[in-house]
Amino acid sequence: MVQREYFKQGKVDQFRQILEEGSSPEIDEYYADVKYERIAILNALGAYYSYLGKVETKQREKDDHFILATQYYNKASRIDMHEPSTWIGKGQLLLAKGDLDQASAAFKIVLDDNRDDNRDNVPALLGQACVLFNRGRYSDSLELYKRALQVHPHCPASVRFGIGLCRYKMGQFEKARQAFKRVLQIQKVLRLLWHWESWICKQMKAADETWKGMEKMQKAFEIYPYCAMALNYLANHFFFTGQHFLVEQLTETALAVSSHGLMKSHSYYNLARSYHSKGDYEKAGMYYMASVKECNKPHDFVLPYFGLGQVQLKWGDFKSSLSNFEKVLEVYPENCETLKVIGHIYVQLSQTEKALEVLRKATKIDPRDAQAFLELGELLIQSDAGAALDAFRTARGLLKKNGGEVPIELLNNIGVIHFERGEFELAEQTFREALGDGVWLSFLDGKVHSPPVDSDASSRQYNDLQFFRRLEEEGIAVDLPWDKVTTLFNHARLLEQLHDTEKASILYKLILFKFPDYIDAYLRLAAIAKARNNTQLSIELIGDALKVNNRCPNALSTLGTLELKSDDWLKAKDTFRAAREATDGKDSYATLALGNWNYYAALRSEKRGPKLEATHLEKAKELYTKVLVQHPSNFYAANGAAVVLAEKGQFDVSKDIFTQVQEAASGNIFVQMPDVWINLAHVYFAQGHFALAYQNCLRKFYYNTDTQVLLYLARTHYEAEQWQDCKKTLLRAIHLAPSNYTLRFDAGVAMQKFSMFTLQKTKKTADEVRLTVAELKNAVRVFSQLSTASSLHYHGFDEKKIETHVGYCKHLLDAAKVHHEAAEREEQQNRQRLELARQVSLAEEARRKAEEQRKLQLEKRKQEDLLKQVRQQEEDFKRIKEQWRSTEPASKRKERLQMEDEDGRGEKRRRKGGKRRKRDKKSRYEMDETEGDMMDDHGEMEDDDAYMNNQDGANQINDQEDDRADNNAHVLAAAGLEDSDAEDDAGAPSSNINRRRRAWSESDDDEPSGRQLEASPTRENSAEFPGSDGEA
Amino acid sequence: MKLAGLKSKENAHEESIWAAAWVPATESRPALLLTGSLDETVRLWRSDELDLQGTNTGHCLGVVSVAAHPSGVIAASASLDSFVRVFDVDTNATISSLEAPPSEVWQMQFDPKGTILAVAGGGSLSVKLWDTATWKLVATLSVPRPEGSNKPADRSGSSKFVLSVAWSPDGKRLACGSMDGTISIFDVARAKFLHHLEGHFMPVRSLAYSPIDSRVLFTASDDTHIHIYDAEGKSMIGAMSGHASWVLSLDVSPDGAAVASGSSDRTVRLWDLNMRAAVQTMSNHTDQVWGVAFRPPGGTGVRAGRLASVSDDKSISLYDYS
Repeated sequence: MVQREYFKQGKVDQFRQILEEGSSPEIDEYYADVKYERIAILNALGAYYSYLGKVETKQREKDDHFILATQYYNKASRIDMHEPSTWIGKGQLLLAKGDLDQASAAFKIVLDDNRDDNRDNVPALLGQACVLFNRGRYSDSLELYKRALQVHPHCPASVRFGIGLCRYKMGQFEKARQAFKRVLQIQKVLRLLWHWESWICKQMKAADETWKGMEKMQKAFEIYPYCAMALNYLANHFFFTGQHFLVEQLTETALAVSSHGLMKSHSYYNLARSYHSKGDYEKAGMYYMASVKECNKPHDFVLPYFGLGQVQLKWGDFKSSLSNFEKVLEVYPENCETLKVIGHIYVQLSQTEKALEVLRKATKIDPRDAQAFLELGELLIQSDAGAALDAFRTARGLLKKNGGEVPIELLNNIGVIHFERGEFELAEQTFREALGDGVWLSFLDGKVHSPPVDSDASSRQYNDLQFFRRLEEEGIAVDLPWDKVTTLFNHARLLEQLHDTEKASILYKLILFKFPDYIDAYLRLAAIAKARNNTQLSIELIGDALKVNNRCPNALSTLGTLELKSDDWLKAKDTFRAAREATDGKDSYATLALGNWNYYAALRSEKRGPKLEATHLEKAKELYTKVLVQHPSNFYAANGAAVVLAEKGQFDVSKDIFTQVQEAASGNIFVQMPDVWINLAHVYFAQGHFALAYQNCLRKFYYNTDTQVLLYLARTHYEAEQWQDCKKTLLRAIHLAPSNYTLRFDAGVAMQKFSMFTLQKTKKTADEVRLTVAELKNAVRVFSQLSTASSLHYHGFDEKKIETHVGYCKHLLDAAKVHHEAAEREEQQNRQRLELARQVSLAEEARRKAEEQRKLQLEKRKQEDLLKQVRQQEEDFKRIKEQWRSTEPASKRKERLQMEDEDGRGEKRRRKGGKRRKRDKKSRYEMDETEGDMMDDHGEMEDDDAYMNNQDGANQINDQEDDRADNNAHVLAAAGLEDSDAEDDAGAPSSNINRRRRAWSESDDDEPSGRQLEASPTRENSAEFPGSDGEA
Repeated sequence: MKLAGLKSKENAHEESIWAAAWVPATESRPALLLTGSLDETVRLWRSDELDLQGTNTGHCLGVVSVAAHPSGVIAASASLDSFVRVFDVDTNATISSLEAPPSEVWQMQFDPKGTILAVAGGGSLSVKLWDTATWKLVATLSVPRPEGSNKPADRSGSSKFVLSVAWSPDGKRLACGSMDGTISIFDVARAKFLHHLEGHFMPVRSLAYSPIDSRVLFTASDDTHIHIYDAEGKSMIGAMSGHASWVLSLDVSPDGAAVASGSSDRTVRLWDLNMRAAVQTMSNHTDQVWGVAFRPPGGTGVRAGRLASVSDDKSISLYDYS
């Protein structure tokens, strides 16, 4: 029994040596009668070799061992055919070799042998149970195990283990667990079992993977317990408990002892997983790769593909990653995780369609997966905001239901979509939810107000800084977590949209207080300042933004528009160029701005060389086209191009473009393009169609506050000879823009025109005449006021200018005298007409008619001889009317351009451009905003043309008046010169000329109108009759 | 603090209504609402029914401003032709016709004691003061140009063109607002310019002192903001934003706790001065709201607060303020 001691002490070699000695032929002969001992020795050797064979991984050696074992067992059975232990050994051997039938036969021999108590031979029972188990007859197997346990209650733990496995196989998890527990109690050392128990627990939870667990268990049982599989499981266990070092040790051992492909694959996978979770992606990837290589069929073992895909995704190798995940998907076509990852990869590869499809499938399969909805939503934002919103909301609902924290990004996205869809209240709620508690709440709820601004505040920044510092001193924590900045910014944008600019400003300032590099906040503050016409502050803020990033194209573009607004043309051009360079010409705004710049330049130049104009227009067109090539759907560029075309007289083409832009723009809630409406109206107008589109435009876009559009409207009325409407419209415009004297002049003109028109009528009532007289008086008063008001306006200029005006005013008086006389005479005429109307009875009507006729003839004559029509203002208007009616505005425009008021026009256009821009800045989202501005400018340009028509008409009268006065010819020239000087001096030319000229012709008129009424009627007659005589 | 719509009078005038003021109650009658319109008429309305009491004609071009004497006996109306007509409220007899060429006439206001009528002089860059006893021009308060400014007065109006006037409740100060957004404060007794208040850069079409604090001035501007200034200390106390377009008119409630404003965005808003936020937005008008006016307290048996608003949509709306 020495050998048994050796075996127990693990001294295998000695054990074998002794046994081999014991089984040598000499011993056989010597101890021929000691049967039992010899059998025992042989059996021990057989068991030893079969164990070796079982443990051995190399097939050949394994076979060798089994052969040896068979030999020993055969030898033993030759000694005694009926020795049960030999049969048991043989059975075990056959079992190890996988020969279930023979093994079963061997065990059966033992069990069927009725000698002794062999019926209850425990090893045989166990062997048979094992056979049955392997044959899948679990309940039979269980019976045998139970029997073994009854016979020998203190049998090794393996019996209970077998029971546990059978139970497990039969799906009685709870009982299996109990059995394993018992095993554990018996053999606490065997951690493996403990692991199996926990494994089973896991299986119970994840029933879908049961089959995998079974398979592994079965295999592990077969080679129990020193096989690679067991090691793998142990490793697996340690992986979950986070002991990565042990995992690596175990799996490396497992790799060393196993040659089985799948097994190795598992080992590699474990190793890779361990590195993966440690963040060592390189090694992880390597082992995943090895694992995949070992197991070529994804159906056998799919996990390494998944892991490999993940690592490749990390590396940015989307294509390979995609193919790996797709393999996983082949095995598990409904696996949500995989679908999501594939969706994600498609997004990265910008195959949006496919990504959408995959993610939609994922959300359909698992409608409770918030993550999938999140990804889906993010994907949809670009294409379908509504669907994106739904997805986000579902995600939010799911997260909330699960009691999880809803990430701020999600809420932010929901808020932004609401915002973009114009659902401001929902957006606000969402933003608030996202922001949670913080200092901003006291701003939003109006508990803390912006700081008082001292008129002579030392510095704006200092002021803001002080404000927040003070808050901190007051014990209010001014904190702003970095992840909330974006949401806070968006909230501020929302407030802006809701016109709550004050609160928005505070929020922006708060952002800047904590994150002084947040350039967008500077830009928004600058935009707010710009919208409020605070150009200086706006430029300052842009300066701050540029300090942060001096190549920020948005800041540069804004700066450009600001410079344009403050009349710094060349600087603006440079800035726009810089902006364009900063984006390598990709930013269409800067290009558009340059296009506009050229367009203005074409129309502003004082010396108006047709060549220069053409060059600028050409350049503008080129730039617009460039933008259109890059972004074929850029409204603003299209609009700009159309404007240039219209400028060149190609009305049909431009009309088409405008119409298209209008249609496109009205389909987009975010882009408001009133200008295109106006431009369209202009084109119709220029082609002779009176469109009242202006009116709609006015109401639709400008809250009725745009005097310019009112002016167009007035002009439409004027063309349609609706004088009263025209006047009313102009009065409205005056009311809106009280300091715009041009409007007053226009109103005066309208009134005069109305009077003339009434007087020309063949039939008129006394009331009409009375009204006419009143209207004329008004006109005279308006003109007279204008003259004084304009002269007033030249006071307070610098000395040089005043000097200029001293000389100028003298001429002004002369010129005005003429105008005064005209007005007075007309006044008298009308008065007489009024008298007549009163006196004339029905019998006298014929005479009156004759007189009327004469009057008409007189006017005709005047028309023919313009230079001599010194005193007939009505005539002048008639001429203007004809001009206006002309259906060829382009050529007309050019004519007009030759006139002296060009500079005023250019100036005006420029200024107006600035104004409109600022208004828009306010209401647009940043991206659109910049482009929106552009657009407005185009609109402006066109606008001004129409406006100028009106203007020109008015001016023309004066021109003629000037001309006719002998001494006025040189005065005019002088005035022109002086004006250009003044422009240079003042730095802003303004439209002085018009006003001055007007004043010039009317300055005498500011006597009280009562006096004019008293003027003698005789004089009027004398003026009229010669006229009619001449005609006759 | 809230507004409740009481009555709305559609087509109260034939054209846009541009001005509104309350004529304080006299012993013989309650307070009346005075409105002026583009249709060249001035009309008087009885509260709360908004029954037409009378129509005054005699103006040419639109009526841009109306003002009532604190006694409630006389009132003034001004039109675009730059005449100011002073008339007896009850008889409509013309008391005087004022003009100070070349000055136009924009907003007008009687001083709290009723001895002076202040008229915003538009392009004359001044406020004209008329003695209400003799109806003679007693003073011209000119807005000085900021030093070093060589800005030309251009047509689009970035000038000091004077649009609006307001008396402090103690009658010592006068504030006026201009096209370029600056506000000028005058010492009336010495007829002296004191200082500018800065912060607006667009036309200030309406301003009003707080009835309970002579230092506090509220201003309404085209920049969509209402500013609150300490008119003596030259500092801006705060700003209120919320209108979507120009703020055209503004009035402070008699209790000094709220401000009402009318805007081009077609709304009337009520602002809580403690919260500095709009507490109510009335959107019953369909066009720009040119005038808002709180009824002055006093008169027999009239304690309820009233606010009237007039609009381009030719209608008058009356609200209960409580």
